[in-house]
Amino acid sequence: MLLLLVSFFNPYAGIAGLVATVIAISVSHFTGLNKAFIQKGNYSYNALIIGIGMGAIYNFSIAFWILLTFIIIFSVILSVVFQNILGKYGLPFLTIPFVLCFLLVLLVTNVFEAIDFTYRNIYWMNDAYAIGSSYLVKLIMYFDRLEMPALLSTFFKALSSLYFQNNVLAGMIIALGVLIHSRIIFSLIIIGFLTAYTFNNIVMAHPEGMNYYLIGGNFILISVAIGGFFIIPSLHSYIWAVVSVPITFIIVMALGRITGQWGLPVFSMPFCIVLLSFLYFFSLKIQKGRVVATPLQLYSPEKNLYNYLNNKERLQNINHIRLQLPFIGKWMVSQGYDGNITHKGDWSKALDFIIVDQELKTYKNYALHVEDFYCYNKPVLAPADGFVQQIDDYIDDNAIGKINQQKNWGNTIVIKHAEGLYTKMSHLKKHSFKVKVGDFVKQGDVIAACGNSGRSPEPHLHFQVQTTPYIGSKTFIYPLSYFVSENNGKEIVQEFSIPQETAIVNNINHNPTLKQAFEFLPGFNLTVNAEGMEENKWEVFTDAYNNSYFYCHTTKSFAYFKRNETVFYFTSFDGDKYSLLYHFYIACYKIYLATEPAVAALDKFPLQLSKNTLSKWLQDFIAPFYIFSRLHFESLNKVVSNDFLNPSVSISTKQVLQFLSF
Amino acid sequence: MSKLKYERPLIKKLNAGMMNKFGAQSECTPVTHIDGVSVKSIIQKYGSPVFVLSEQKMRQNYKSAVRAFSTRYPKVQFAWSYKTHYNNAVCRVFHQEGSWGEVVSGFEYRKALSNGVPGSNIIFNGPDKHAEEIKLAIENDSLIHIDHFEELYLLIDLCAQLDKKARVAIRVNMDTGIYPMWDRFGFNYENGQAWQALNKIVESGKLQLVGLHSHIGTYMLSTAAYGVAASKLCDLAMNSKSQLHTTIKYIDLGGGFPSANTLKGSYGNVPTPSVDEFAEVITTTILNYGFKTEDLPLLILESGRVLIDDAGYLLGSVLANKKLSDGRKATIMDFGVNIMFTSFWYDHKISPAQEVSQFNEDTVLYGPLCMNIDIVRESVNLPLLNRGDHVVVHKVGAYNMTQWMQFIAMRPNIVLIDTNNETHIIRQAETLDYLEQLEVIPEHLQKK
Repeated sequence: MLLLLVSFFNPYAGIAGLVATVIAISVSHFTGLNKAFIQKGNYSYNALIIGIGMGAIYNFSIAFWILLTFIIIFSVILSVVFQNILGKYGLPFLTIPFVLCFLLVLLVTNVFEAIDFTYRNIYWMNDAYAIGSSYLVKLIMYFDRLEMPALLSTFFKALSSLYFQNNVLAGMIIALGVLIHSRIIFSLIIIGFLTAYTFNNIVMAHPEGMNYYLIGGNFILISVAIGGFFIIPSLHSYIWAVVSVPITFIIVMALGRITGQWGLPVFSMPFCIVLLSFLYFFSLKIQKGRVVATPLQLYSPEKNLYNYLNNKERLQNINHIRLQLPFIGKWMVSQGYDGNITHKGDWSKALDFIIVDQELKTYKNYALHVEDFYCYNKPVLAPADGFVQQIDDYIDDNAIGKINQQKNWGNTIVIKHAEGLYTKMSHLKKHSFKVKVGDFVKQGDVIAACGNSGRSPEPHLHFQVQTTPYIGSKTFIYPLSYFVSENNGKEIVQEFSIPQETAIVNNINHNPTLKQAFEFLPGFNLTVNAEGMEENKWEVFTDAYNNSYFYCHTTKSFAYFKRNETVFYFTSFDGDKYSLLYHFYIACYKIYLATEPAVAALDKFPLQLSKNTLSKWLQDFIAPFYIFSRLHFESLNKVVSNDFLNPSVSISTKQVLQFLSF
Repeated sequence: MSKLKYERPLIKKLNAGMMNKFGAQSECTPVTHIDGVSVKSIIQKYGSPVFVLSEQKMRQNYKSAVRAFSTRYPKVQFAWSYKTHYNNAVCRVFHQEGSWGEVVSGFEYRKALSNGVPGSNIIFNGPDKHAEEIKLAIENDSLIHIDHFEELYLLIDLCAQLDKKARVAIRVNMDTGIYPMWDRFGFNYENGQAWQALNKIVESGKLQLVGLHSHIGTYMLSTAAYGVAASKLCDLAMNSKSQLHTTIKYIDLGGGFPSANTLKGSYGNVPTPSVDEFAEVITTTILNYGFKTEDLPLLILESGRVLIDDAGYLLGSVLANKKLSDGRKATIMDFGVNIMFTSFWYDHKISPAQEVSQFNEDTVLYGPLCMNIDIVRESVNLPLLNRGDHVVVHKVGAYNMTQWMQFIAMRPNIVLIDTNNETHIIRQAETLDYLEQLEVIPEHLQKK
């Protein structure tokens, strides 16, 4: 709102900008361009700046409006053209259409006699009188004459030039608006400005070579774009932001020399050149993780950063094929990854499982026979859906204490879950296989029984993940999706991790009620009520990329979610922060579809959801370098009624803002 | 030096080397402590005879039974068989471990409720359920296992009255290849009555068919019979889904697993199959039957005996020694068949509770009743015991404390040793007042 106010300091510019936008949108619709892009303003933002620019420097006349119309049409065409050329490289087209169109305008208006420059800019006080009486003029004059260091006044004027203004008050309002909108942008503006100022002091450019517009439109913008907008804000992005300013400075000066021949300014062309080359450079060269291009533009560096960090932590396993433990009930990891019995060399990333009793014994009676061992002949399950790739089923069980080094894997099954993802289970019991090569198995199907064949002195189950389909392939580090792990009598749920040696582990028992309650299929309609709030209508949709989301028809909000066999969780929310859907998003951020063990589901929100303004602002300023606060989420399911046919479960959730230092 | 213990003289045939029919003569090893508590101190504190239950052993038994099934099958539920031992403390131990309740009468049903078992986790079995009890069970959403058509019709009527759908299962009896065949309970599988009952339940529209139940016998020594039973129940479940469009939510295979006692008439120690072996047969049968993984029915087991028998001990003392007419030795104990009903079924293992002589003698063990049937062991190889010596009778946890009688002698204390080896009385010895509480003397007899 503040920024909008500023642009109407010059009402003519504002009107022309508005008209230009309307024209651009109409043209886009008329030609049938992508509606989503039109709605996002992809084809009209260049038109808006052209409109503002032209409105600010020309007198309104019939010829002016006709010229504006055709220039805007051309800007839409250029937008589409550059969008497609640069889009192939994953680059934005920025304000290239504006720069080109405006250069055109400036060049032709010299020869179009019907269009003449306005003197409003010179007598801008008249306008100010017209809009806001003498008080406004006095106010503006007051700030312009306010005693302040040249550095500050230059800074504010440079900012105001972003909106084709040239006064301190507008700059201050913009600065305030930016500060409220984004602390990161604010810091980058200052960094950009100071770098340019310092560089200028060193190289000492001719004073006439510099103007406020060049500072605002290029140096400040490039700093913001590289430091926090197109790149996820970080120490690296800030360093590159500083580097980008002198380079832009050089290009501004160099290009200015060329365009100056025809009396033309360079506008934001240097900004476009530097930004595009930097972004393309980053996408090619820089080590992954140091400089990260904003994956989904949320138009706020804070949101971009917090969402990026949050997603990196939460959603990194979203596309993993989920493997479960290949057995029923509680088993113990007798040898983990890099175990010192046999998990060595190429075969080090494997897991051995056995069953133990309360005294951690693996057998009953005197352990003379394989049948005395608890795990012997117990069902072995498919860890995930897949095709049976290979089976060896001809090796006899060893007597206890003996091993078979000829056929060291024993009876074995290899299942193919995807290209390059296989699981292998070994030492199985001869003739216990329930499937044959080529069969499709579903996750949890019984495939064989635990045995004592191969290099196995006592019955146990060997499990490994591998990237090639052979028995004997080397192992591959790959996590199990969700499982319960018991260590020292305490049960925890582990997610996408590797069970540790001596942990007692089991698959999560899903609660049918919760599974059913969180089954939201596309087309599902809900009418939602809450005390003191109006009734909302929600519908579940699935988009072209197979992402499911709730859409609230009442408040036009979106909440994207995922649901697998173990967890329901939201991935993002967009829309009204006071809607019921937002409350649902916050309350059901992550829910285990299970009640045993009674363990809380833990998660973290992106920090922009924090309600504590003071800590949030502090955090925003230093967020690119250090995150000191966390917004925790916790949900706990409690069985209210044990009725196994019709059980009811209550879910309680809470959010906690935590500071590391306190 | 303390005075040496008196040993009466005995003449014994020399038995060199080989094991004889009395086994390895292990019965002579004295058992002086139970869960770390000395037998002597228990008898001192709680009198003799006295029943002792080990909480630790109960929990161990439960956990290992659960492990046997739950490492083979994904959905397993145990339901504590109340008739085996319905002392509230005992029931609560099993409920704490996660067990449901299985009851066969109205009073057991109410006991389960008062022990905090949710109505929906109580299985109501038995051929004699009264209308009032059934109503209570319907209102509590309990699982009612129908035994006969008369009960089925009664249930339909009651549901109509209450306007509530009862959750029911039928008890099925079948030929599993063992004798005797318990075909007096439930509906027969082979003659089609079971299928007919399922049809009637679904057609009535008043009942919710949720499960199938069978209980093929008690102290079963054959695991294969459970495989046959499981497979016949699976067949009914499949047909019920395909033909009656009703999904069977659970299969209840009852109990009947043996404990490690020795049945009368068996020669020496016949090994009984372990819970693992039963679990293996039952779960393999169901897993192989062809259910989809997500449609597998819940497997319910109503084990009682196997979970508690060896957690129960009876401590008693010697009253007298005798020589019988045929020359055999006889010892009279202070406990008899009135409180040890299972001595009709088993040759209970009996150990002395103090250091004894190395010599054994074939003895008849009598109880204290003045009834000829009061024989605890007809023939047992015991060392020479004197009046006041203590003995420990093993594996008496199941059925004794529900089937005991108050005949001539009254019922003694029951003591529970908890997991911290502390003793607690969980049922007090009966008194004359207790005995006469319910007696009513008609007026004409009141004059002394």
